[in-house]
Amino acid sequence: MKVSRRDLLLGTAGLTAGIFFTPVPWKVLDDVSIWTQNWPWIPQPPRGPVTTKLASCTLCSSGCAMRVRMAAGFPVGISGAALHPLTKGALCPLGFAAYQLNWHPARLSEVRHRGHAASWEEARAAFEKATSEGPLAIVDGRSGRAASAVLQSFAAKHNSSYEAVRNAEEKSLFPYAKWSGIPVSSLGYDLENARTIVSFGAPLLDGWGIPGRFTHLWCERAASQSDPPLRLIQIEPTLSRTAAGAWRWVPVCQSTEALLAASLAKVLLDEHLVPAPGPVPPLPLTDAARQTGMTPTAIRELAYTMVERRPTLVIDADENPAIVALNVLLGSVGTPGGIVKKAVHPSSMPPARAADTTLRAILLDSTVPWEFVPPSGAEVFRFASWDGGGNRADWLLPTPGFLEESTDLPTPPTSAVAVYGISPNLLTASAPVKTAAEFLQQVDSTLPTVDQTIHARCKEIFRARRGSVHSEKQSPVASFESAAKLEEALRSGGVWLDEWTPAFPLKCSLKEWPTDNPTHSPLNWASAWVPPVMPTLAAKLYRESSLREPPQRSQS
Amino acid sequence: MSARYGMVIDLDRCTGCGACMVACAVENNVPALPARATDRTGLTPMLVHKVSNGVEGSDRREVFIPVACMHCANETPCVSVCPQQAVEVDKSTGIVMQIPQRCLGCRYCMTACPYHARYFNWWDPSWPPGMEKSLNPGVATRMRGVVEKCNLCHARLHTAMEKAAAAGKKEIDMADYVPACVEACPTNAILFGNLANPGDPASVAAHAPDTFRLLARLGTEPKTYYKSSQAWVRALAERSPSGQPTEAQHV
Repeated sequence: MKVSRRDLLLGTAGLTAGIFFTPVPWKVLDDVSIWTQNWPWIPQPPRGPVTTKLASCTLCSSGCAMRVRMAAGFPVGISGAALHPLTKGALCPLGFAAYQLNWHPARLSEVRHRGHAASWEEARAAFEKATSEGPLAIVDGRSGRAASAVLQSFAAKHNSSYEAVRNAEEKSLFPYAKWSGIPVSSLGYDLENARTIVSFGAPLLDGWGIPGRFTHLWCERAASQSDPPLRLIQIEPTLSRTAAGAWRWVPVCQSTEALLAASLAKVLLDEHLVPAPGPVPPLPLTDAARQTGMTPTAIRELAYTMVERRPTLVIDADENPAIVALNVLLGSVGTPGGIVKKAVHPSSMPPARAADTTLRAILLDSTVPWEFVPPSGAEVFRFASWDGGGNRADWLLPTPGFLEESTDLPTPPTSAVAVYGISPNLLTASAPVKTAAEFLQQVDSTLPTVDQTIHARCKEIFRARRGSVHSEKQSPVASFESAAKLEEALRSGGVWLDEWTPAFPLKCSLKEWPTDNPTHSPLNWASAWVPPVMPTLAAKLYRESSLREPPQRSQS
Repeated sequence: MSARYGMVIDLDRCTGCGACMVACAVENNVPALPARATDRTGLTPMLVHKVSNGVEGSDRREVFIPVACMHCANETPCVSVCPQQAVEVDKSTGIVMQIPQRCLGCRYCMTACPYHARYFNWWDPSWPPGMEKSLNPGVATRMRGVVEKCNLCHARLHTAMEKAAAAGKKEIDMADYVPACVEACPTNAILFGNLANPGDPASVAAHAPDTFRLLARLGTEPKTYYKSSQAWVRALAERSPSGQPTEAQHV
């Protein structure tokens, strides 16, 4: 058969037209589309078996329980675990993305001495020299941990001072500790039994205390109810998130909260709304009203509302004694629904000593907030997982990142009952890192190890036979065969909760009305965040939405 | 029986913490973008808006409204305008699906969406070195030039379907299918469920008093319901959202 040029052209045209009636071009187009989604520079998720493990968040003192989804040995997702009796499955927004911090560009991977790379041996030699030459201070940002015991032991053995940096929530309990003589670590807020909570600027619905503890209560007993069983009265100059969700928002002029507290006390005493007499603040109600921006009638009404449903608990954002003295007046100290004393506190620590200003050196644990400014003149050894910039330390010593360290979690400062948990290390650090406790053990091998302290604490809980371990199921401590089994349950993500004992003796008395001592450092989950950097996806909260004001930290 | 997945968001319970936004981004491998990204050029499949009653002083009230794709059931605007068939309504679930492989980035759907719940990928997705190990293996990353939105955590639906199939069941257990935002909410403000099932708690809540839908007058039958005890909040529902926080009139 002879093929003419015309046949060839016809055949080609027919083939070209016909191919569009077959799936071939559409399949090619589809494949090209898929191929364009897989450029080599587009990151691909890991492949591997997916498992879920229980752990606790270690980035602040709350110790929220969480489930960590792991793929190919790496965490790929975090969700709250409802087994925790206090956090009840809640996490702060930053907690959901916390595991990304391990790959943050500011992650420390080597020892740095004044901006230059150095070795662990050089850091150790410098620290040993400083220890031998003069007074030393060790600063801990989260006292009560097993690692804190190591730091404290070193300080005791080497004639050094141990100082604990307290957060605002813990500081708000200081006046009660001073008035009652009971250590601040043994005090807590009994939110669960209060019927009226009067907050002076405390961000109760924005992560105050333990994220999930108050929000859970608020959901159950306050939200969307016109006459709720739990009344939240927020006294604050601006309409904050907590004020927006409060039963009543009382706007006052800036920095006049203590004045309002004093005038409320005056009304409570003058009109016999409280059972016991107390020192009367020397201030005419009209003057207080003028300064706070309220009317005398509004102040009187507020005082009556406060005592309408008792127990009434007053919470200050900070440690202003002129505000927290209202609890003493209201009889909300040492009673259910007020300030209570914890029954057992296995990790209680003696009061910290103030650091000497003529220190030779100072060691800062990784739990100390980056904003902490050490005294000048001392050589600073700073343990940290991330470099927040600012060159505030002579030595920057890399520590394990998120979920890279097994650590115990003592009772959060605001809790009314003792809690204890152990967060396992689910990841291995990619660089040579050490905790401050490990570093000090290398300097002095006679110090107890973190694990030994954890064993001792588990034995203490086991011997006391109190409370129960909350894991996938709740098991009383008495049901455990040995302390080792109890420790195993805790290391698997369980949380021990002590029994609730409401009647522990705690008495405070006031000789005169305290003077105003404002420090104003309201604390929410973002400001309580210890690392100097934020998870990468926190940008969604600050940059890519208008939801929140950005904090003064690196967000990327 | 076909499902009709949707959610009911109790605005009285929303504290505006933003946990839903972060959890959504983590679950769906949404990257953090350059510092110049804003609330319109960023990628926030779930975005929480703060709105007020417009009154100053002690009578001022504010609420937070989480807004994601409403998964419109009727005349779905984004489906109608897409020239690439890159948006489909899954008839078995009611989920409005975005298929990035088909999307050519014309952004007609963004213009058509009355809820501003769609986002364009202006930048290649990138993470700091090594962080790709922490990406969710159930969700593919999307590249620059395509539109993204909430797909009700479709990967989680697939996992629940696989589990049901392995157990020999046709229907999934709703306990196995919980979107990330619902799981993350610390106040349980978001109730998720099958609205086609009259006995489902979400279906019951959707038909309770005080519930409403945003821009219901458009007749697109959104499957996200809101609940509020405050009349001024319910009145906001018929206002068109803007990129900025809304200052509504006192009602």
